[in-house]
Amino acid sequence: MKTSVTILSTNLNKNILKNYPHYYIIDGNFLMEDLLKYSQVIFWHSLNNKGEEEIKKIYQFLNNNQIDFINVTNNSEEALLTNYLIIYDRDKILIEGNTLEVLKEEKLLKRLGISLPFMVELSLLLKDYDLIKDIYLDYEKLEGALWN
Amino acid sequence: MELKDILKEEGIVGVISQYEFSLDLNKKVSSIEIKNRDKAFQMVNLPNNIKEKYLQDLTLSELFKIDLISKLDEEIIIIGNISGCLNFKEAEFIKKLLLKLVTVYHKKIIVIDSSVQTFFNLVKKIVVINGKNILYETDNFYDDDLYKYAKIPKIIEFVKFVNQDKKRINKTTDIHELIKDIYRSVS
Repeated sequence: MKTSVTILSTNLNKNILKNYPHYYIIDGNFLMEDLLKYSQVIFWHSLNNKGEEEIKKIYQFLNNNQIDFINVTNNSEEALLTNYLIIYDRDKILIEGNTLEVLKEEKLLKRLGISLPFMVELSLLLKDYDLIKDIYLDYEKLEGALWN
Repeated sequence: MELKDILKEEGIVGVISQYEFSLDLNKKVSSIEIKNRDKAFQMVNLPNNIKEKYLQDLTLSELFKIDLISKLDEEIIIIGNISGCLNFKEAEFIKKLLLKLVTVYHKKIIVIDSSVQTFFNLVKKIVVINGKNILYETDNFYDDDLYKYAKIPKIIEFVKFVNQDKKRINKTTDIHELIKDIYRSVS
């Protein structure tokens, strides 16, 4: 198991948490200091309402304190904030690996009803129109590739 | 002010806020009061085999749908957390269903969500509340002030970004319209 992982799924129930018995489950509001009590934490949809910058700060805090973490979410944008991604369909792992490589499995994800992160979807569509050659996650770089 | 006071006429209003299910998760699905249960289950694509399950054993999607169908008879339907509970296909399906409830059955609906994106193609007004106070309301997804209170959707952030020095593309909430506009702009 990697130390920072996103689990992306839209049809999970909490039974899958049995697969991660050593992880402390955080399924509501929490204080950053409280995370220090644990060496492994799993966020059960508890980062959904936080902004990207706030989640990055939490991840930074966890990394600095050598706390392993898993973020369970149905928001594919959050997947881009870790390098490792696991896709579940109910209680089965369908695919896992490097986040961008997994997100390129567009058909599989769409069949599961999982939307791609906006910049990945936009890049793939622009690639289809031969307007760009790569996937861009950064607005400035994509703007440069399109208009400069 | 009560939440239902923000909706005077039929239609759907989006409220930027957190939503928590008021359902008792220790109950079985079969004990939740739902009018025309079988029809209601069919309407939201819920499988019959969950009827004997406890609510705490349901997926978030199933829980959302139970919450919705248990409120269909209420004068004002208040539901929430589409973005946290449903995948994009289900969300689109539920949005169509909500619009049908308004156009065919003249329902008043309040959708609570922390994601503005949930309200695309759904609501005529977005309201930000804090407790019992309205902090802000708008009908414009490109209203900068709205994003003092909510996360800005990526598509809106991107359009604002590429238009900051020079207007290149139109304001849109639809990625396919955005692609067409970019194509026109760079060709």
